[in-house]
Amino acid sequence: MSYGKIGQRLGRVEGPAKVTGEAKYTADILLPGMIWGKVLRSPLPHAKIVAIDTREAEQMPGILAVLTAKDLPDLLTGRLVYDMPVLAIDRVRFIGEKVAVVAAEDPDMAEDALASIDVEYEEMPAVFDAHEAMNPEAPLLHPDYRSYAHAPEKFFSDIPNVHSHVTWELGDIDKGFALAKQVFEHTFSTPAVHQGYIEPHASVVAIDPDGRVNVWISNKMPVRARELLADVIELPEERIVVHLAQIGADFGGKGSLMDAPLCYHLAKRTGRPVKMVMSYTEELMAGNPRHPTSIFLRTGVTEEGQIVARQAKVVFNSGAYAAFKPVPFVNIPGAKDAAGVYGTPHIRIDAYSVYANCVPSGHFRAPGDLQVNFAVESSMDMIAEDLGLDRLEFRKQNLLKDGDWVPGGPQLEEVRVAETLAAAVKASSWNQPKSQPNRGLGLAVSHRLIGTGEANTQLTLKEDGTIQVLTPVPEVGTGAHTILQQIVAETLFLPLDQVRVETASEIFKTDSGSGASRVTYVGGQVVQQAAGELMKLILAAGAKGLGCAENEVVFEGGRVVRSDSDGSLSLVEVAKLGGDGKSALRVKKLLNLSEGPPMTTFTAQVVELEVDPETGQIRLLDVVTAHDVGTIINPLGHQGQIEGGLLQGVGFGLLEELRIEDGQVSTLNLGDYKLPNIRDIPPLTTVLVEEELGPAPFHGKAIGESSITPTGAAIANAVYDAVGVRFHDLPINAEKVYWALQQHRGGKG
Amino acid sequence: MTHTIRLNVNGKEHTVEVSSRRLLVDCLRYDLGLTGTKEGCSVGVCGACTVLMDGKPISSCLALALFADGKEIVTVEGLAREDRLDRVQQAFIDYGGFQCGICTPGMVVTAKALLDENPDPSVDEIKEWMMGNLCRCTGYYKVIESIQGAAAAEEGGG
Repeated sequence: MSYGKIGQRLGRVEGPAKVTGEAKYTADILLPGMIWGKVLRSPLPHAKIVAIDTREAEQMPGILAVLTAKDLPDLLTGRLVYDMPVLAIDRVRFIGEKVAVVAAEDPDMAEDALASIDVEYEEMPAVFDAHEAMNPEAPLLHPDYRSYAHAPEKFFSDIPNVHSHVTWELGDIDKGFALAKQVFEHTFSTPAVHQGYIEPHASVVAIDPDGRVNVWISNKMPVRARELLADVIELPEERIVVHLAQIGADFGGKGSLMDAPLCYHLAKRTGRPVKMVMSYTEELMAGNPRHPTSIFLRTGVTEEGQIVARQAKVVFNSGAYAAFKPVPFVNIPGAKDAAGVYGTPHIRIDAYSVYANCVPSGHFRAPGDLQVNFAVESSMDMIAEDLGLDRLEFRKQNLLKDGDWVPGGPQLEEVRVAETLAAAVKASSWNQPKSQPNRGLGLAVSHRLIGTGEANTQLTLKEDGTIQVLTPVPEVGTGAHTILQQIVAETLFLPLDQVRVETASEIFKTDSGSGASRVTYVGGQVVQQAAGELMKLILAAGAKGLGCAENEVVFEGGRVVRSDSDGSLSLVEVAKLGGDGKSALRVKKLLNLSEGPPMTTFTAQVVELEVDPETGQIRLLDVVTAHDVGTIINPLGHQGQIEGGLLQGVGFGLLEELRIEDGQVSTLNLGDYKLPNIRDIPPLTTVLVEEELGPAPFHGKAIGESSITPTGAAIANAVYDAVGVRFHDLPINAEKVYWALQQHRGGKG
Repeated sequence: MTHTIRLNVNGKEHTVEVSSRRLLVDCLRYDLGLTGTKEGCSVGVCGACTVLMDGKPISSCLALALFADGKEIVTVEGLAREDRLDRVQQAFIDYGGFQCGICTPGMVVTAKALLDENPDPSVDEIKEWMMGNLCRCTGYYKVIESIQGAAAAEEGGG
């Protein structure tokens, strides 16, 4: 099909504001009389707080308030389960936990005062590894977990420190293994990695004289943030307004309140607006990184090479709190993909989310998917080799088909994995003879179900004839606002510049915000439906103005036109006429999609690389990423999602690791924590396997969390192909490769 | 201890009282209200705080405000002329050279300095010059396309 606005390669609507510096992020909010908050963090991983002496700090110049837990309500908070104090109450559970907060005239003064706060601790035994934390003798981090607000009983476990145990099953796992000729067992692990957004978390709170609490916060779910904040500061939601600022990227990490409750308490105490901005060191020490994960896979395969059983045990190190997990089961959804893209009749997946004395983990683009895909796709190569099968043919033989079920998902229709995999292989040098020593090829395939949830909008025909689209979804960088503009313009047959997307959170009661590759799908549908309803109102008002029946008018060239005569009205004129009773022409709509479509999206990648046998350095020679896509709404933004996600996948595979030693993060700045830079980018070929059958408006599909997932596994498989060394953990950095090659040679010699 | 410094920012003279340890990024953002310049890593790695000092890109998070005394500073707010975007800014929009936009002020300022020095850079030259600017959103492919696009656009044109 051809469309007018859909499919146009468009620069983003907020582009001019962003390239001129006019765009305001939370840290850019400057208010008269604003002061600064800074927190003192725990230097110990697990300790009782015996005493805190703040007297000296309180007397220092420029210090306006010093607060500890005793100054705050005795409440806990979290994105779903409330298990985290705003400031540590009697006990600290990780290095970096907030213990006290200072408000000062400027940040330097606040920083100076922190050094004068004296905290007496009594150290307690700590546990850092998730598996060790599951031992009966391990110290318990949260003995009262079951009493915490919103802790879901269904997922309680008797295993120590496991706060959530989720099981996904298909078929009968014992029966499956009984059918198998051979059973393979593999274990893999991946480290904590930071989202790496360049904007550290920031919060600003200003309390109006009438008690209204104004909040600016780096949070992609402002409606939910208001609800959570209301609970933890004990105010009705109606008193709180969350103002939407630009967000300096999210990648899953910007869904919590972070320092907003502290800003509120400081603002209340001092009567001044308060800003808190985390330093990047604080981000790396106490942000909410991707979970360190270990994945155990047990795979049953028939004599013919058919996978008949897959058992998986996925252990996520949750860190000291579960507070950063937003999903109802308080675990990591990606674990359900532990059977990969392979039709497996008998599956059992157990995911354990485990407390340990480390930085609390959170969501990062495709949460859990990357970890589990690294395991699944590495194991596919290993099993194929053991069986003497070609690794591509072994995959092809087992791919999902129409009618197959996926764990935690629907019975699939329109399965396009074979086409996607074939396209990736075809665009690569897979079928060419191996060129040189130390070079290798690897492939990996993944899928991702589209996200569901709630989305809101309010559409208004304004007096100037433009359509105002109000959304509570902030622009986190994904291009969501541009897409919403396109969908409304397309639906109303209007030029793009006649549709203005603006943000507002206070008029909406509930909303899922940005995440889970949801916005184009759920948010797109709600604006599309609202635009359809607004069109009806416009036609009705126009017909009334033209003195005819509604079925005698059409919308043409941006005007309401009588089909039987020359009479017509512009949108400016229609707006002046208004709707019934001269009210504005307006549609407010909430869409709640609890169930997703019977469809998923596939990604297949082929990586070619070269290992320097002397240094262990890996050079990516070529990357092919193939995607099963529907109608592409904005090709520029779509490709941007693919490229950005891919490089994050490269970082996960080759570079990134939040090193944690005895609970202490040791990569505490962006010099030590390596994000890929412009010289790390590989030559990239993107293949789009297009068909107009997606579930989003105009048959679009999700793309935001696709390209990031299989890259780590494709790299690991290519390294094995190049030098014969199998890595069971990421990242595969030069140092690791160097030592592995030394050992490999030693073993051979 | 406070000092009085004079600096020219985007063609405008300012006299500011700053403490000895005031950083240039804070002076620009909070003393002058020019919040277009961003602070990311605070250790001179990410490049979000890049400004031009006498035409050369520097990390304003590492420079003391005192260091800018008597200097000419250009920030992202100083690139557009009379509501007309600089070709680098326009190209970053047209070629998708940013997503969330937090690194963009530093990116466009750094790219502007590159094209001032080398109007027709190769991809390798772009990579060499831009490696001090981190972007987590784009994967850099469209940053390169944006800079090439800006180089190809006529001087002063959109």
